[in-house]
Amino acid sequence: MDFRRRDVLEVVAASVVAGAASTLPGCAHGAGADHRLPIAYERGTAMNSRPLMTVRITAAPSQKLGAVPHGIRSIVPVTGGDFEGPRLRGAVLPGGGDWLLVRSDGVLELDLRITLETDDHALIYMTFQGLRHGPPDVIAALGRGEVVDPASYYFRTLPRFETSTETYAFLNRMITVGVGQARPDGAIHEIYEIL
Amino acid sequence: MSSDYEGNGMASRLLMTLQVVVPPPRKLGAVPHGTRVIAAITSGTFEGPRLRGKVLPGGSDWTLLRPDGVLELDLRITLETDDGALIYMTSFGLRHGPPEVLAALARGESVDPSKYYFRTTPRFETSAPQYAFLNRLIAISSGDRRATGPIYTVEEIL
Repeated sequence: MDFRRRDVLEVVAASVVAGAASTLPGCAHGAGADHRLPIAYERGTAMNSRPLMTVRITAAPSQKLGAVPHGIRSIVPVTGGDFEGPRLRGAVLPGGGDWLLVRSDGVLELDLRITLETDDHALIYMTFQGLRHGPPDVIAALGRGEVVDPASYYFRTLPRFETSTETYAFLNRMITVGVGQARPDGAIHEIYEIL
Repeated sequence: MSSDYEGNGMASRLLMTLQVVVPPPRKLGAVPHGTRVIAAITSGTFEGPRLRGKVLPGGSDWTLLRPDGVLELDLRITLETDDGALIYMTSFGLRHGPPEVLAALARGESVDPSKYYFRTTPRFETSAPQYAFLNRLIAISSGDRRATGPIYTVEEIL
């Protein structure tokens, strides 16, 4: 079986438990240490990923709905953007949005729905749920619209796709993870296909 | 934009392995979105560096075979840790592969899990402070379908 997983050393455990930043230098493709699973589970369950695309989303100022039963709700209208990867590229169409909720434990939940249009005119419906959290000073800086090193906070999503186009039907069949960067006018998501 | 690929990268580490016991499932047949099969989960165990315990009875996996041949999984179970905390776990996932491999799985045979795609996205809820980290993480799992039920290797996305 293949152990080219991007596991990192156990030394990072403490910072992750504390909810601190956890994107470490040296964790890029193929740089992780071997991480043998217990013998009983060693059969073919290694996890690999590869870049699917980078989605750059521009957004209008958020609509702040305030305190609702599950937390503090704000809605971010998506005005456009673009995406590019080895197998697809195109534009983010206006009209989608991200329905954000700050939970009572301080974690921001994301719930996005957008439509992508490829350069060969296929439409792709994309959704994700995600989480964003980090140290209070970092979150405050993001709230002020500042650009912050994305390694200083946790911003991960689970994108899903729907399309009827045969060329892009592979999107219907994959599990993906997004690594997010908040920007003053939107966000950038590096999306990885889980192989 | 291609330079963005060289950005953060994505890293993961083992959260736990989870083995669930599934008796013969209930086949509901053709429903509007595909073919529905509901698999009750009667027991199980989980173990990882930071948590271990058992799966309580009462959960299920509501599976749907889509018209494109992809099986969608939609699991809800309750975990109980060895120190008595309750954790609500849900998981959406996808399973697909070559027809002969899926047929062998359907016959209850043991198949090398690298022969098919079986990946899920577990989410957790708990009120126990010692496991609150589960509320804050994104996870991915790799499944290995066995005759008695799947074994999931759950990875935390760092």
